[in-house]
Amino acid sequence: MSQQATALPPAAEAQHEPGYLAVSNVTKRFGAATVLDSLSLSVGRAEFVSLLGPSGCGKTTLLRLIAGLLAPDQGAIEVGGRDLTRVAAHRRNIGVVFQNYALFPHLTVAENIAYGLRAKGVPKGEQAKKVADALGLVRMEAFADRAVTALSGGQQQRIAVARAVVVEPSLLLLDEPFSALDRKLRETMQIELRHILRNLGITSIFVTHDQDEALVMSDRIAVMNEGRIEHLGTPSEVYARPKSLYTMEFVGQSSRIGGVVTGGRDGIVEIDTPFGLVRAPGHFLTGSKVVVGVRPEAIAAGEGPAGEYNTVRGTVAEVIYFGSRTLLHFRTAREGDRLHVELNRLPDTVAPGVEMTVRWRLDDSRVFPAPGGADR
Amino acid sequence: MTLARDDLAVMPAAAPARWTFDAKALIAVPGLVFMALAFAVPVLMLVGDSFVDRDGFSLAGYRKVLGDPYYIGIIGNSLQLACITTAVCLAVGYPAAWALARIRGAWQVILFALIFLPLTVSIVVKTFGLTIMMRRDGIINFLLVNLGFIERPMRLVFTEFSLYFGMVNVFLPFMILPLYSVMRMLDPRLLDASASLGAGPVHTFLRVTLPLTMPGIIAGGTLVFSISVAAYVTPGLLVGDRFMTMSQVMAKAYLNIRDFQLGASMAVIMLVISAALILASSYLVRTPGGERR
Repeated sequence: MSQQATALPPAAEAQHEPGYLAVSNVTKRFGAATVLDSLSLSVGRAEFVSLLGPSGCGKTTLLRLIAGLLAPDQGAIEVGGRDLTRVAAHRRNIGVVFQNYALFPHLTVAENIAYGLRAKGVPKGEQAKKVADALGLVRMEAFADRAVTALSGGQQQRIAVARAVVVEPSLLLLDEPFSALDRKLRETMQIELRHILRNLGITSIFVTHDQDEALVMSDRIAVMNEGRIEHLGTPSEVYARPKSLYTMEFVGQSSRIGGVVTGGRDGIVEIDTPFGLVRAPGHFLTGSKVVVGVRPEAIAAGEGPAGEYNTVRGTVAEVIYFGSRTLLHFRTAREGDRLHVELNRLPDTVAPGVEMTVRWRLDDSRVFPAPGGADR
Repeated sequence: MTLARDDLAVMPAAAPARWTFDAKALIAVPGLVFMALAFAVPVLMLVGDSFVDRDGFSLAGYRKVLGDPYYIGIIGNSLQLACITTAVCLAVGYPAAWALARIRGAWQVILFALIFLPLTVSIVVKTFGLTIMMRRDGIINFLLVNLGFIERPMRLVFTEFSLYFGMVNVFLPFMILPLYSVMRMLDPRLLDASASLGAGPVHTFLRVTLPLTMPGIIAGGTLVFSISVAAYVTPGLLVGDRFMTMSQVMAKAYLNIRDFQLGASMAVIMLVISAALILASSYLVRTPGGERR
């Protein structure tokens, strides 16, 4: 599913009429704490955008602001050209799937799904047809008359989705909808939900702290940190070309080695690190403290040609076996540094304590200003 | 995890009844013995008294109570008193309980204190306090006259108004507590979900809040009704003989005219009313959740 999604971007991108959801300079404070700091976000029609970040980064607050369950202190929220900033939640036509599903415990499955239709005054006969269609969409036809309290987590999840989409919302918000499911079920539901929403063409904002989930499901990911968007881009942009050290570390595994820039030319800087001289693309003044980031899977065993590769030598500290791949942690001299190497095939000789040479392409490394430096 | 908690909140868990011996039940024995001696035996004796006069078995007591318009009127008075008290307590207590369940921090402590501290004051003290306030030279008349609403002080004490005022004053906490305990467990996201589905505040209240807080309404209503139908002190002090209630008839029968059968018959009728109400309410609470489980 995700492969398909990434294989299709031109077509998918074309139908995403930009600026369908426009969040402009939204600020939200709770007491003295600024939860969202002049945040802007633009989402195209039928696009699926994830808000990815750790708890407390403001992603759920942003979701609640869009839904109208909270009011911003500053800024505006528009959907389809209509300013919704001061519109009550029940007049926005924005669907929400909640973390705990928030199904009405006193209503049956069918009554839960019909709830929004009834509130909007849809005629009875039409209600029944739409409820049946929605149940079919999530493959829960047999459960129409069950009590929602008698359903499993995955089933409740499906009903919550059916209940939200049956009213044909102009925007669907999903607040960590999979967090209560076990891993196997979660992976199935991710793909299924993505499929359903794509077919319906519903613009969706998906809140998650799970980077894998965001990578699998999203057209674009907004990596959030402390009330701001650190990086907004496609999953492959965010993963392969992170704009900040924070994004690199939050999304996926990473190696990071700190050092000081000793020189550079032609867009390549030379950095003095505990592992020796490392080169990477970037523009930094000589003497700047920087961090070099590399994905573990971009690092291979053995030496490489000097012009294209960095080659370093280190001591293996730990060998972590995952079946299809093995992760090596190297010893590092400096606190905060991390050299993790992911190998598909493990040389027989590798064990903790063994010295080993590894290499990676200059193009695979990213350089960021060291945290706590002048820019912070 | 949250879901399990919500379930408990809304529907009392219906554990399958199994009649096997459980040693934990033995812990209740002292309490049971006390209740048998202090409650069950006297009540049974009372029931026995209602069927007996000086010559043996007799239904004269019931014939008197149920056949005489005077006594029927008094039963009506008690039912009216209980109904109005319950209704006013519900109307006033529901929003208060909601606030109590939703507010956090220092305000919650303050609200709690305001609502439950009065419970520590004796009913007699509270009721006498009210009569002082409602006297012709009391603060209410003083204010009404000086603000120009009325020309001369009006009678407040010994009116039905003062009675209902006093009853609500005494019994309001008994309505708020059960409502609060149900509302506290109501997941606020259900209200968010309702709004996100296009339901306005009124629709949300009628279709979500009201049905889910119904167990609290029934519990609070039953509690307030069954204690206010039996109220003795408050009606006695605030209205006296102008508004006779079942409890006052019982007291008079035992203490003044010494017609034990009359008093016992009235007591049994009151017992039947309360028991019927409690049975009905436990049936009402069980049905909606019970069927859907």
